[in-house]
Formats: sequence, C-alpha cells, structure tokens
Amino acid sequence: MSAPILETRSLTKRFGGLTAVDNLSLSLEGGKLHAIIGPNGAGKTTLFNLVSGLLRPDSGKVIFRGRDITGLPAHEISRLGIKRTLQVKSVFSSLSVAENLWITYAGSKRFLHPFRNAESDRAARDRVAQTLEQIGLTALAHRAAGVLSYGDVALLEIGMALISEPQLLLLDEPTCGMSPAETERAVTKIREMARTIDIVIIEHDMAVVFGIADAITVLAQGAILAVGNVNEISQNERVREAYLGRPEDEDYVEEAAHA
Amino acid sequence: MSSRASIERVLFVLFAIFMMSVPWSVPALVSSFWVSVITEILIWSLFAASVNLLFGYVGLLSFGQALYFGFGMYGVSIGIDQLHLGFWPVFALGIVAAMTMALVSGVFAVRLTWHYFAIITVVFSLIFYFLAVRLKPLTGGDDGINFSMPPTFTFDHSVWSFTDPTFQYFFILLTVSLCFYLMHRVIHSPLGKAFVAIRDNDVRASLIGLNVYLIRLVAFVMAGFLAGVAGALFAFFGRYASAAYMFYQVSGEGVVWAIVGGAGTLFGPIIGTTLFIIIREVVSTHWEHHALIVGVMAILVVILAPRGLVGLWSDRLDRLDKDAAELPSTQPERVPP
Amino acid sequence: MDTLLLLALNGLIWGLIIALIALGLSVIFGLLDIINIAHGDFFMVGTVIAWFTLEATGNFWLGFIAAPLIGFILGALIQRVVIQPVRGVAALSIVATFGLSLILQESVRIIFGPTPRRILAPITSTVPLFGIEYDVYRLFAALLSIAALVGFFLFLQYTKIGTWMRAVRHDRDTAIAMGIPAQRIYILTFGIGFALAAFGGAVAAPIATVDFRGGVDILPFCFMAVIIGGLGNLPGTAAAAVMLAFFEGIIQSVADPTVARIASLALMSAVMLIRPQGLFKGHVR
Repeated sequence: MSAPILETRSLTKRFGGLTAVDNLSLSLEGGKLHAIIGPNGAGKTTLFNLVSGLLRPDSGKVIFRGRDITGLPAHEISRLGIKRTLQVKSVFSSLSVAENLWITYAGSKRFLHPFRNAESDRAARDRVAQTLEQIGLTALAHRAAGVLSYGDVALLEIGMALISEPQLLLLDEPTCGMSPAETERAVTKIREMARTIDIVIIEHDMAVVFGIADAITVLAQGAILAVGNVNEISQNERVREAYLGRPEDEDYVEEAAHA
Repeated sequence: MSSRASIERVLFVLFAIFMMSVPWSVPALVSSFWVSVITEILIWSLFAASVNLLFGYVGLLSFGQALYFGFGMYGVSIGIDQLHLGFWPVFALGIVAAMTMALVSGVFAVRLTWHYFAIITVVFSLIFYFLAVRLKPLTGGDDGINFSMPPTFTFDHSVWSFTDPTFQYFFILLTVSLCFYLMHRVIHSPLGKAFVAIRDNDVRASLIGLNVYLIRLVAFVMAGFLAGVAGALFAFFGRYASAAYMFYQVSGEGVVWAIVGGAGTLFGPIIGTTLFIIIREVVSTHWEHHALIVGVMAILVVILAPRGLVGLWSDRLDRLDKDAAELPSTQPERVPP
Repeated sequence: MDTLLLLALNGLIWGLIIALIALGLSVIFGLLDIINIAHGDFFMVGTVIAWFTLEATGNFWLGFIAAPLIGFILGALIQRVVIQPVRGVAALSIVATFGLSLILQESVRIIFGPTPRRILAPITSTVPLFGIEYDVYRLFAALLSIAALVGFFLFLQYTKIGTWMRAVRHDRDTAIAMGIPAQRIYILTFGIGFALAAFGGAVAAPIATVDFRGGVDILPFCFMAVIIGGLGNLPGTAAAAVMLAFFEGIIQSVADPTVARIASLALMSAVMLIRPQGLFKGHVR
C-alpha cells in the first residue's frame, strides 16, 4: 500500500447556486493509474482545475505528496511537478512543434534569459529532439503548431506532458475526439508513461478506462459515488444507475468491462 | 537559406546603408527638411515598437503608451529646464521615470483581462494628461515648454550637441537601432518565446509553469522603457515638451502604426510609422486634412490586410519558398515507436 | 451657494444626456464586443446635424428627428461596411473605430469648418428654481432625455427586436442557435448606438458647442459611466452617468474641471481594479 500521491480533504467549490465539487475527500495511491469517471457535470474537470491551481476552492484542502498545495497559483503547482492537459486540445499555435516542447521544458525554470538566443541551450535541444522521436513528430518539428491535424496536436500534448518530467500527470479526456486508431495509439502511450509516472485521467470512453485503469473513482454531482478497481466498478449497481439508467445500456458496460 | 531570408537580408543591408548616408544623400535627393522628417520617423517608430512589443508578442493591447512617452519627454525637459542638469543625467531621468511609471501602473493593469486592460491603460494616461495640463508651471500644459539643449559630449576643444543636425541624426539613429537590436534579442530569447506562449494560450502557459503575471509585467516595463526612450529623444530633438503628447490620440496613432505595419514583426512598427508620417508630410503641404487619409488607410488595412504590410510581404515571399507545400501528417501511415 | 446649485443642476442634466450616449456605447460593447473609439464622434455628428437642420430649415425641433434618423442610417452602414469584416478580431476592430473617429472628425472639419459655433436654444427664457434663474431649455433637455431613456428601456423590454437584442447580449450562441438573426441585430445595434449618441448631440447642441473636436471629451466620460455602472448593466450605466456628471459638477464649484475629471478617472480605475463588475447591482453580463 503506497502513500497517497494526491489527496483532497473536504474540497468544495461553488459557482453561484451550483455546487460543482461537494465536500470531496479522495485519496489516490501512488504507483497506480487512476481514472476518474462520471456523468457530465459530475465535477471531474472542476476537480482537475482545483488541483492544478486554475481555481481556488471555497473550502477544503488539496494535498500533493503530503504537502498542502491549496490555493497556490497554477504556475507554482506546475513547478512542483503536477502537469495537466486540457479538455480541449490546446498548444501554442504560433510556436513550432519543437518550440512548444522547448517552452514546456523551459517553463518550469525560474529564470528565463531575456537576451540569450533560445536555440543555444544544448541540453534543452537534445531533450526536445528526444521527445520528438518518442512521439513521432520529428518530421513536423518546425511546423507551426496551429496548423497541425487534431491527432498530431494530441501527440504534441503528450510530448509536452513527457518532456516536463511530471511527478503527477493529469490527463483530461485524452482520447476525446480521436478515431479508433488514434485512440489505440494514445492508450499505448499512456500505458507506457504509467510505468514511470503517476497518472490520473478523466475519461468518458469506458473501453479505455476499463482497459488501462488500476483504480477508478466515480464522481456524481460533485461527490464520490464509488471507488474501486475495474471489476468492482463495472458490477456496481449505483454506478450503472448514475451513468446509464436504462437496462439496455448495461450490455454496453458489460462489453466494455470485458473488452 | 530560404530565398525569403536572403531577400530580406539584402534589403536590410541596403536599408542600413541608406540610413547611414541620410545626412548627405537626402539633402542631395530631396531637401534637408526630409532629414528632419526621417529623424522624427525614427523616434516615432520606437514608440510604435513599444506598442508592438506588448501587442504583437504578448497579446496585450495598450492604448496608453503615450503616458510613458510623456514621462520620458518630461524627464528630459523638466530636468533641463527646472533642474538644470546635463544631457546624460536627464536622459537617464526620463528613462527611469518612464520605467518606474510602467512598473507602478503595470502592477495593476496587467492583472486585468484584455478589454479592461486596454481601457485602464487609457485611463491612466488620461489621469496624467490632466495632471500635466493642471501643473502648467511645471509642464507648460498643452502649450508646452521650450528649452535649450545642453551638449551631449564635451571633449577638450570640441562640443558635440544636438544643435548639429548631423550629430543629432546619428545619435538618434544609433539609439533607436540599439533599442531595436535589444528587442530582436529579447524576441529570440527564452523570455520572448514565453511572451508568445502567453499570448497564444495564457492558461496553458501557467500550467507549464510560466508565471504569467510576472512575465506580462516584465514586458510592460520593457515597453515602458522603449516609449520612454522615444519620449526622451523627442524632447531632445524638438527641444520641446507638451502635455498634448500624452493624450490618448497619440497612443492611438502608435497602435495604428504598429498594426498597419504588421503586429508581431520587428520591422512592422518602422514600416507603419514611415508610411503614415510620410503621408502626413506629403499630403499636408497640399491639403490640410491628411488625418482623413490616415483614418481611411487604417480601416482599409485592417479589412484587407489584417496582418499588416509586413504580413502581406511575408505571405508574398513565402510563396517563393519550396517547402510551403502540403503538410505531411503522421496519421495514419506512420506509427510512432 | 448659487454657483454650487447651478453647477449641480447642470451636472445632473448633463448626466442625463450622457446617459443616453453611454447607453449607446454599452449596447455596442455588450453585443458586438467592440470598444468603439468613435462613439464620442457619433455625439459630435449629432450636434452638427442639429446645426445644419437649423440652418437649412430654420426649425430647431426637426433636429431631434434628423439626428437620430441620420445617425441610425450611418451607424447601420458603418457596421456593415467597416465593422462586420473585422468583428471577430478585437484589436482590429479597435483600429477600425479609431480610423472611423479620424474620418468623422476630419469630414466634419471639412464640411462644417474648424471653428466651434454655438446654436441658440429655441427657448431662451429662464425660470426661477430654488432661488436661481435657471434655463428653461436645460429643463426641457432633461425631460427629453428622461423620456428617451424610458423609451429605450421600454423598447428593449417589450419589443421583439429589443428582446432579441437582450437575448444576444445575454448569450450569443444560444440566441443564434434559436434562430435569432444575429447579423441583423448587429447592424441594428450599431445603428441604435449611433442614433442614441446623435440624439444626445442634438439635445446637447445648444448647451455645448458645435465643434469637430466635440466628441473627444465625451468618449472617456461615456466609458467611465459604462465601467462604473457595470458592463451589461444598462440601468446602472445610466445611473452612473448621472452620478458622475453630478459629482463632477459639484467638484467644479470648488476646483477646476480638470481636477473633477481626474477624480472621476481615479474612481473609474478603482472600480476596474477592485470591483470590475461595476458599482451597481443588477443584471451583469
């Protein structure tokens, strides 16, 4: 039983009358690939926003590796090692693919030199070249990221996640909008990364979730509905109800669970 | 090297040679009055460059750069007129004043989202405009103050001063070139790449560890520096300072020059400023309503050539380069290892 | 004491007129996302139209019809030709409105001439009010402005177009998805914005001067009203306009106008930094 890598304690976030995250206390073990699932509006992305510092909670705490990171600004949290991707694939469109990777690598440093040429850092250049190879985008290194196809942008995002040497990687719907072939590739990459990095993913694609997750947390209406492994969750009545509600759809969950 | 880069390199060399010959070639070709115009163009391109640094690279549209221009200008004129200081002390005073003002106002302004940022930069500049008008004994208000120029360098027997138009031209040329060179370095530096990243996607930028607020503030102070230098040079050039140069229309003209020239390019501000000042000079001798042409041109450019003149130029040239072809994609033939 | 009363009343009435103009700015900002630098010049064009109408027909009152009408047509045309192509990119639209401002100012300078002129109010009598003799025309202007403000709010609330405008301001995407013709609404909005400002100009013409630079001062004031009142908060904007003008009027009795303006600008900055949704509660965007 390893120590929890990420915990929240009574985390709450309200938007006007809507409580997006409701007194949420979860604990994610290190060394496992966690998936967070739940119907729309369950609070999954809000949770990521709170953990990564884009939002401040109304109450409660976020603890990363035993350290209270509640209320820290996003760039501080990033420098502590928590990296995340956004639901809508987003990279820096005016910068080239290589520069996107490069700035991700440089972004975590405290000091950005204002006069030295960005090309001159050898170590950074090598890291970028290495990562380009890993994601297979070497041929497009000097293309502006804004003109890439959707699938390539997803690969670039994964590359950016890799190059930043994360201690905890939060992936928000990484396979959203992907074709089956692209999804397969993304899943392979994620499995590979999970060998050395702690990953938490938000996913809607059940096949993906049941295929790679070691531990699943189900959220509904901002609170935990269930926690468990693939088998436990796929058998869980309340989960089926929350997600589905119609008997026909149960077959889908069955199939996905045994895929 | 691509053909575009070679063409641009050649053009740049020709341009540099021309600029260095101006005090002699221009009076020969046209008249010595135009040396003065070119000098003014240099000063105002620096001003447009300060707008461009913020907008073209960081994505912040400031409509109040005239404020820092004004501080540079008043630093010099008050320094000479009231404090009786020499050339270099007042130059420094103007620049430091401008940068300090940029820091103080930037701390507040940079926190705001872009609509409010644009508006508050105007508001700050208006507040100081009215203050300057109010403090007439100090600033000369809208009428302005005139002063005489202290020498720049004094050696044993020779005095170098702005009263010599050739020395004045070269000093300004050198200073402006130096500032543009510094901008060039910054744009290609890690900080410069961070600027662009923040402009493209500030949320993503914070998620990769960039301190968006701080970096924007740094950019704001740098822009304040550029505007301040421009203001100081302006005061030296005209031996004159007036609150009118802090009004929002001056800032607005800077924005128009930068965008028409081409935001986000190094030479955009120079091209935009040159175009509009030449139009002003040429048209106003025949017709006093040159502002009408400025307005029409501004509208035509944003509708027809939104990336500005340098943008048009880049597009034309890019077609010469062979690799502006179909993009290869890694899907679906290539499988990443 | 008399001066204070005079300035306070003048401020109040001026505020009512500005409220009209500021509302025009607010709907343009709210619906089209455009910072309209030419808005003060829309007001100025209104004063000029009033002057020309008087010159041409000898009838001052016709100006109240001519100004908003011509203003609306001009506004609609401008939106279609100049604004629409660049509506998507905010910075470009600012440059476009800046260019527009220059064009309007210079055109008026060409047609009308560079010297400021005065229009004589059609009613020059005064009436005793709170112990001073006060211009009847100003009182009339106040009533007219209030009527126009009320009329505008009724329009927004009860007409089909007004409701469409409110819908687009509230949630553009849903409104379009529901079939509201957004493009036409944008043209109408810009036209209405110009018309409101021009009408304000016609009303204000005897009080202010008719001058090609007459809009330059009005613009920051309108923005102050919009920001302090709250973006998207139309009643708030109107209230802020009145308050600010009143406040400046009072300060003018003890200090000069420049100081009053600096104070308002400082207040505006404070609101933007501390309470960006505006000082007034109400429906915010």
